[in-house]
This record gives sequence, C-alpha cells and structure tokens, in this order.
Amino acid sequence: MTDTYRPAEPIWCAGCGHFGVEGALLLALSDLSIPKEETLVLAGIGCSGTIQNNLGTYGYHALHGRVLPTATGAWMANPKLTVIAAGGDGDGYAIGMGHLIHAFRHNPSFTYIVMNNGVYGLTKGQNSPTRHGTRPIDAILLGLSVLETTFVARGFTRAPEQLRDLTVRALKHARAGHGFAFLEVLSPCVTYNDTYALWDAEYVDLDTDGEHDPTNRSQAFSRVTELHAEGRIPIGLIHHTERDPTAALADPSAADIGPDSHIASYEDILDRYKVERHNR
Amino acid sequence: MTRPVTDFNAMVAGQGGDGSLTVITLLGNLLARRGFHLYTSRNVGSQVKGGHTAGLLRGTMVPRTGMGDSIDVFIAFDAEAIEKGGSRVAQDGFVVYDSSGGPLPDGHLSDGVTVLEIPFGRLAVRDLRRELFKNSFALGVISRILTIDDADTAAVIKARFAAKPELVDPNLQAMIEGFAYADEHDMAEGAGPIRLAKVKADDRILITGNDAAALGFLVAGVRFFAGYPITPATEILDFMTRHIEAYGGVAVQAEDELAAVNMALGAALTGVRSLTATSGPGISLMQEAVSHAGSAEIPLVVVDAQRAGPSTGMPTKSEQSDIAMLIHGGNGDFPRIVLAAGNATDAFELAVIATNLSQRIQGPVYLMLDQTVSQDSSTVPPFDLTTIEIDHGRRLNQHQLDVIGEYRRYSITDDGVSPWAMPGMPDGMSLVTGNEHDEWGKVSTEPRNRVDMMDKRARKTDAVLDDLPSGHRFGDDASTVGILGVGMQSGVMRETVELLASDGIELAGLQPRTIWPVPAETLAFVASKERVYVVEHNHSGQLAQILESVGHSTDTMRSILKYDGIAFTPLELADRIRTGEAG
Repeated sequence: MTDTYRPAEPIWCAGCGHFGVEGALLLALSDLSIPKEETLVLAGIGCSGTIQNNLGTYGYHALHGRVLPTATGAWMANPKLTVIAAGGDGDGYAIGMGHLIHAFRHNPSFTYIVMNNGVYGLTKGQNSPTRHGTRPIDAILLGLSVLETTFVARGFTRAPEQLRDLTVRALKHARAGHGFAFLEVLSPCVTYNDTYALWDAEYVDLDTDGEHDPTNRSQAFSRVTELHAEGRIPIGLIHHTERDPTAALADPSAADIGPDSHIASYEDILDRYKVERHNR
Repeated sequence: MTRPVTDFNAMVAGQGGDGSLTVITLLGNLLARRGFHLYTSRNVGSQVKGGHTAGLLRGTMVPRTGMGDSIDVFIAFDAEAIEKGGSRVAQDGFVVYDSSGGPLPDGHLSDGVTVLEIPFGRLAVRDLRRELFKNSFALGVISRILTIDDADTAAVIKARFAAKPELVDPNLQAMIEGFAYADEHDMAEGAGPIRLAKVKADDRILITGNDAAALGFLVAGVRFFAGYPITPATEILDFMTRHIEAYGGVAVQAEDELAAVNMALGAALTGVRSLTATSGPGISLMQEAVSHAGSAEIPLVVVDAQRAGPSTGMPTKSEQSDIAMLIHGGNGDFPRIVLAAGNATDAFELAVIATNLSQRIQGPVYLMLDQTVSQDSSTVPPFDLTTIEIDHGRRLNQHQLDVIGEYRRYSITDDGVSPWAMPGMPDGMSLVTGNEHDEWGKVSTEPRNRVDMMDKRARKTDAVLDDLPSGHRFGDDASTVGILGVGMQSGVMRETVELLASDGIELAGLQPRTIWPVPAETLAFVASKERVYVVEHNHSGQLAQILESVGHSTDTMRSILKYDGIAFTPLELADRIRTGEAG
C-alpha cells in the first residue's frame, strides 16, 4: 500500500454553491462505485477550478479556458478512465467558449460540469458572460443548437437531490460511451453575486413537468426559449439522446509502441518513398 | 557537341495549376533512374490555384541539400515565368518557352541561352483537347535535350499515371509530339546537346523533412497527435491522419492551436506519447501551454516548421525567425530543449530523440524545422529502423509504485526527474498543476518550496546534456575561421565551404542539431576560432544573439543574414564570406 496526497479542504466562502457541486459529485462517484484511481478530474481556472484538489482522485489543473481540449485529449488517450472536466462560467463561457461548441460537436464521452455563478469570484467580482442583466448567454441553448449534442442538463445547488441525480445521469451517459455529458449547475457566489433569491424565484424544474420530453430536441429548445422570455430559468434534464458518439476512438494507452513489433510495417511506409533505380 | 552534366538544375514555372510540379516530378524520376541524387523544391504563392508557381529540381552525383546557382533547363509556361526566372538561367542553358500566350519577352536572358519557343498549350488543346497535356509535351522535348532514351521517358509517364489509366495514352501522345518537335530541331534520339551522366546508385528514398519527421515520431511511439492546418506544417497532420490509427493511435484536427496543444497535454498526462506540429503563428498561440508543460512537468513535443514572419508574414516562404521564441518564449523560467534539423535524415533522427527526451525530462521539447527543410524533398539513404530505442524515462510500473511507500508526483530528486505514475494506477493518485506546487502537487507559494521546485526543474535539462544530439562537422576543422548555421542553410554551407576551399579559403563548419541548451560542442567550436560566420535566415541574428547570451563575443561572430524568403545559393553565400574575409 502506497500513500499519496491527502485531499485538500475547499477554499470556498461559507455558503458558496460549489460545496453542493462537490458533494453531489462525491456522492455520484460513490453511487456508481467508480474507483478513485480510475477517475481523472480536470478543472479550469477560478474558484471552481480547485475542486479537483478535494476529491482524492487523479486531478489536473488546466490552463484558463482550456479544460475541454485537455479533457478531450485525456479521454481520447485513455477512454477507460472516467474523465470529468469542471470549471466556472468565466472559464467555460468567456475565454474557453470556442472549445465548448467543438466539444458538443465532437461528442467525446466525458462529463463537463460548469459551476455557473455569473461572476468572476477569484478576481473579486467582474461580470461573467452569464451575469444577470448583462445580456447573458445560455449554454444550454447553445448545446441544443449543435446537432451532435447528446446530453444537456442544468442543476441548482438549492435542489441537492436532483443535482446528485443529474450528476449520476451525466456520469452514466459518458461512461456508457454515449458522448459528451454537459451539466451546468446554478451555483451562487455569496460574496460577489448572491443569486440565491433571484434563482429561487426564477427556476422552473422540467424534471417535474409532465409535458417535457427530454428526448425531443426541438421541443426542449422551444420550452427553454419560452421560459427565458418569461424571465424564468429551466433546470433538470433538458435533453438527451441514446445514440452512440460520432467518433469511435482507439485507446492509445493500450497500444504496443514497440518498436520491434512494428518494424515490418514501418518499413512498408518507408518503401513508399523509395526511388526507382536504373533498371538496366 | 554533347556536353556531359553531373550537376543538373532545372526549373519549371507557370501559373498555379499549370502542372509545373508534375513536370518536376517526372524529370526527377528520369534523373533518379540514372543514379542521380535529387533535391526538389517548390516556390509557390499561397493561393491554391493561380498565382505564380515554380518547381525546382537538382540532380547531382553527391547528395546536395539546396539548389545550385544557375538553371540549366528552364521550362517557362508564360511570360511572367521568363520575367521572374530568366536571370537565373545559365549562360549556356536552355529555355523551353510556351509561346501560346505571346512571344518571348525581351531582355531577361543571357545572350548564350538557347531558346525553344513552342506553343505547347495551344498544341495540347488542338491535338489532345486538354491544356494540361502540355506538360508531357514539354517533357518529351526536355528529355531529348538531355539525351535521355525515349523508352525511359515513356516509362516514367506510364508509371506516373498508372493509377489513372485513361491519362496514359494522351500523355504518351503529347510526349511523342514533343519528340517530333525535337526531331525537327536537330535533337534526334541519343543526340541532344546535354548528356546526363549515369551511375550506379544505392537504395534511396525521396522524402520531405515533414514526412521524415512524422515517420520518426511514429516510430518513436507517438500515438496521439493533435494539430491545426497551417503552412508549412500541415503535411505532418496529414501523415499522422493517414498512418497513426493503424498503430492504435489517434490524430485529431483541433479547432485551433490552443485546443491542439492542450489536447496533446491531456493525452500526455495519461502516459501516451503526444505531439503537435505547427508554424510560427501557431507556436505563438501555444506559448502558454508550453510554459505549462514546463511547470506541470508533462512530456510534450512540438514541431515548429518555421515560415517568414512577423504575424502572418509570408506563409509559403522560409525563415528562421522563431529561434528566440522557442528558446525564450512562454511566461516564466522553465527548462526546455530545442533541436534543429538540417535535412530529412536529421528530421527523422531528431524526431525520435525529441520524443525520448520529452519523456526523460517530463517537459517540453521543440523540433525546429523551416519551410525549406519541411517541404523540399531530397534523396537520402533509407532510415535505419533497427536501431530505434524507446526510452520511457522514469515511469513507474504498478509494482514499482506499490513498493515506493509514499508517492509524490513532484518528489525532489538529484536529477530533478520525479518518478511518474499514470492515471488508472491504484495508489498513484496525484495533483498535476501549472501553479507552483509542493511535492504532492498542492498549490504553494511558500518561498523555500518555490526555490526548491524551480531548482529541481532546472536540473532536469542539466541531467541530459551529454545525451543531446551532436552537430554535423564539415570543412577543415583546423581552420581558424568557422561557419555555423542550422536548418535550411546546412547543405548550402557545406557546398560553400567546398567552393571556397577550391579558392584556397579554408573554413571549419558546424551545423548544431541542439540549439538549446547550447551544447558544449558549440561553445568549444566558437571559442576555438578567430572568426565565426553565423549564417541565419532572419533579420536580427537570433542564433548569434543566443550564442552571445551564453558568453560569446560579437567580435568573434559575424552574422550573415538573409530574410527575403529565398534560400542562399552556394555562390551567393561564398561571395558574402569572401566579402567578410576581405574586410
């Protein structure tokens, strides 16, 4: 038995929504009996980008905005791992937004949890792209608009049982190879943008709405758009499909890199460059 | 009357899409069959179709990496070709001019040049209904100028179009029309004005630096590639896309260079050998990630196929103006290794070495190429695949991890390298971060820890100094005057040194293959000379500045700089050195 690092204590302020996200994630990993050594949690930069220190899994701290490409590379290189990307709304929707669209498009089979608090907490209160009253963007609608998207959900830290359930569903979706599981969590920042009261008043739970069919993309898009028009914000499993990911990828971590076993085929490649010599 | 030729230079120029490059390929095949070593280059605008394009070919008895000073045979498909390239034709050279678009423009050729004006394009359309067949028409004429047997010419055309049988006959027909034209102009078969030598040749491959490097990486066990298309590095992405999957690997075309390099980092994190390849603009975007690989200690190999900067610069032109960025770029101080290839053989060998070194130092290694090395082709001996070794560095297997007792991802060791466990291994859980961290990977700003960690990382490159690839030496080592350069001018420098030696000017030559850290070999070479000409394709003498930064005097080093996007020719470089020696 070899000892390794001891999980850190969270750095977050008392009352921060991120505690709820971490709790839901730990419970979901436990519910699904996923070993910590087979779990790789990659986090971005920001208050949320410290969650990987607290879990006891393999953890990676990505560059600001680059958690998705890093997680994509890690998952492609070892799809046997349970890969979880995590970060904030600044990391994911401002500096890193370009990658989100392509993650939806490529549909890599890992989970991405965005802790949305509408603010840059670590740098003390600047607006993020989702801040109320600043022409906010909705990444759920973005996901729905990309035709390859297979899983979009939104949780709220005030609804911990549902958040745990959505986290389990997201992990199951990705682990089953169905593709990119996108889970945004409304996770208020009590210090710089306390949105508990706002979101309490705005949220609508589609999981308890008998008319919402999460397998119907266009209906989901309409419903989310209509709710926005009414000043409401939907939570729950917004949309998922069961189809396989578009890209079936190899597992290079298991590949034999030789070189002895491959010399003959390397020679075949080399032969294509051979110059025809004088033949008389 | 027939003049024997052992160093043959040809150029074909016209509008992009004229097929200039096809003529060069076929002519190259003809030369290769006679045992010539080949060097081919293309000089293209960055447009896909249209824009002026030139294909260049040199055939020699000894291997050369670069074009000669003058062109023996110039196939010009339009007036612009004559205007742009006419001055390069040798005084006793030949111009085969397509007069379909008008007569030969005056005033661009020396008096002794023989001109054959033929409306190839018009004749091809008239007789074969397709202008593109003018290329085989031209080839027929040229092969007669070079006294090549008609059967040989037919053989290379058949081989070239073997995959498109419907194109064989019309191309042969065009070639025969070329022969007929030659017959009418006193160039019967076997009686042309130039006779190419014929020698017995060893096995050779004709390969670009990009393909050679890509094959080297594949052989070195690279199984993850992420890239974004960019001239002149795209062929590495193409090669990996074609081949890596057969070896259980993955090649990804990412949405941008930021994604590409971070995907490579993510894959490397799992223990898979990972690569990205780009050019200067992409290298600029990747600087943050390279710095991160240095801090977080992740093995990463990055190819820089340099092109002319700054900014978008001249995408299809060669330059070596990223040297300073590769050595000093990225925020903060971190160890990195920069290797530089001078030809395809170097590119292959250094790709293997770079991959192993990145595993050994658990950090970033650059392989520096330039557009000329990347995209020009030359014949080289087939690469030796039997001596390749895979060095895993200090990776732990499960047994080693189990008995270690306590695993710290960033444990401080004598040589700075920390034993490394991969995600998926029980009891090897770790925190990997670019933030300053303690031995467990926990973020730390504690001053003592900071100093220990900076020093630990710096020790990693010191530990591999003796294993960094040595340079190539040429010329007279005993001379007190040296010449030093990397990349595209490597072959030219050798030729220049031979030229000057025949004039009684002896030079000692060094082509370093490691440029950072500056190896002892380079330090000793410069220190042992009274003068060293440092030849670079950039405006500011970046390599000389690097050498100055490690203690060499600018009084010893004389920069010879070129930044017009065109490679030196041997005489041109010799003239610059003669001027320097005269001063």
